[in-house]
Amino acid sequence: MSLENGDHKVTQPILASLTRPQPATARLVPVKTFLGEMPLALLVLAMLLGLVTLFSGDSFTLNTLATALLFAGLSSAWNIIGGFGGQFSLAHSVFFAVGAYTTANLYLRAGVSPWLGLIPAAALAALVACVLSWPVFRLRGPFFAIATMAFTEVALALGNYMEWATGGTRGMSIPFRPGLANMIFRDRFSYALLMLGFAALCLMVVIAIKRSRLGYYLQAVRDNEQAARAAGIDVLRVKLKGMAISAALTGIGGGLFLMQVRVADPSALLSLFDFGVKFALIALIGGLGTIYGPLLGALLVIPLESWLRAELGGLMPGANLIALSVCLILASLFMKQGIVGASGRLAILAGRRWRR
Amino acid sequence: MTEPLQTQPLLSVRGLSKRFGGLVAVNDVSFDVQQGDLVSIIGPNGAGKTTLFNLLTGQLAPSAGHVLFEGKGIGTLSPDRRARLGLGRTFQISQPLVSLSVIENAMVGAFLHHPGLAAAARRADEVLHLVGLSDRAGVRAGTLTLSERRRLEVARALATDPRIVLLDEVMAGLNPTEVVEIADLVERLNREGYTFLVIEHNLKVVRRFSRRVIVIERGAKLAEGSADDVLRDPRVVEAYIGRKRA
Repeated sequence: MSLENGDHKVTQPILASLTRPQPATARLVPVKTFLGEMPLALLVLAMLLGLVTLFSGDSFTLNTLATALLFAGLSSAWNIIGGFGGQFSLAHSVFFAVGAYTTANLYLRAGVSPWLGLIPAAALAALVACVLSWPVFRLRGPFFAIATMAFTEVALALGNYMEWATGGTRGMSIPFRPGLANMIFRDRFSYALLMLGFAALCLMVVIAIKRSRLGYYLQAVRDNEQAARAAGIDVLRVKLKGMAISAALTGIGGGLFLMQVRVADPSALLSLFDFGVKFALIALIGGLGTIYGPLLGALLVIPLESWLRAELGGLMPGANLIALSVCLILASLFMKQGIVGASGRLAILAGRRWRR
Repeated sequence: MTEPLQTQPLLSVRGLSKRFGGLVAVNDVSFDVQQGDLVSIIGPNGAGKTTLFNLLTGQLAPSAGHVLFEGKGIGTLSPDRRARLGLGRTFQISQPLVSLSVIENAMVGAFLHHPGLAAAARRADEVLHLVGLSDRAGVRAGTLTLSERRRLEVARALATDPRIVLLDEVMAGLNPTEVVEIADLVERLNREGYTFLVIEHNLKVVRRFSRRVIVIERGAKLAEGSADDVLRDPRVVEAYIGRKRA
């Protein structure tokens, strides 16, 4: 009995702390919120806007910037399921193509403005993504990647076959009728702004997810499915949610891309290297599962790619691709956590030097 | 007046069996866990403790028998459904979410009943305080020591606001000081109202904190009772301690 009395004294302050959590510790909780991320996010977007405005007279640079921003958005979207969720999808070119063809068909056949067409494009891409990934989400790691890669190949065959929807191997083209409602512009600056808007949308969605229950659940599923289940997480449902959001944004990106290039054929849209793999690659280079990694990756890889094509393309067929591959291999060897991870490590090292 | 809590046990196991081909790993085991209990399941290596644990958490499906939670059969539910009903658990080999910080690990549990970020962070902060990990809140879970990882396992389970917590050898691999620390923690949490079912190998610990001990031997229940009675039972001594000293 005396023992119990003694122990009672110990439990008293603990019970008190349970009922009245100290405000001091509550403030110290190192968890960032959506609003907490906003200053940096808005600064980054403002800088990008400045960059686009700076080059507003240079149509070659604007073109590159527009493409880089499009891929920044697409890789950010991929990062939701591929980075946070750890599901290395190579089927995203399918959702990209679904978005592109939905927008194109609605515009050409029903005269629906692409601005409105992006909504069904996103919805259909999300739906296709859920139906496709449902059966393969039980596969893990490389097996999931291989299965999703196969979807791209099947979609390519279907795309060539379904002439009524895709124009088959001849492809589809959108007539040049400039106008805001048609999302067709004479100047490159408008396209760069459009893609900046898309990148901003993707960045905001990514931050909202990362700083929410879904974001933490996706990361829990990536780190350890068994532990996630023990915490009451319905693993399949979380993966499907992440995939649906990721695919919806990818579908929007597909619609925007189509309106920018105004031609589409299945072999271009469903090219694994040009889209499916590139979304993942850019996220990997920039920093998998980080907020700004895909953005940085796209701003580095896309201009590098276009510069290499211009410099080396005439030298020897494929020389630019070889140089690009070497860069990618070096990046994956020496920056395992991408640019974001590497710069974080550098900052820590520099900090240590400084203190010494 | 009979208390309603006594008439319906929180967790009730009835005739539970698991066969792997010809091997009967768990054989017709039955027991109850009441609200507020601290029950230990002990047994020599290979007795079927872990298989029994996996049947309770849903990692394995039983070959026969029932697991009742608050009177409802949960024997065929998935692990995550059981967790949502209030069955918290830890893993013998701790499973930290390595890319997340300590508090974020606890938040992953807390989100179950606190969907908002701020509310989950507050609940996570509370459970970290309970298990004594508050000062490690911002550290990556992958960098914790073994003993801290065990605490984190307990914290993540507690954060889901469970009705019962199943601990799978939380003391394994710890040094004597750490064992006492964790045992004190479990004892304290039990006094605060948490119900525990503990799979344990360490007899000293079992004697220290268990209200009731269930001994498993070759898949079947050998004895059940207070820690002192059970550990003095000649059959238990023979099966467990006797063999060890022989």
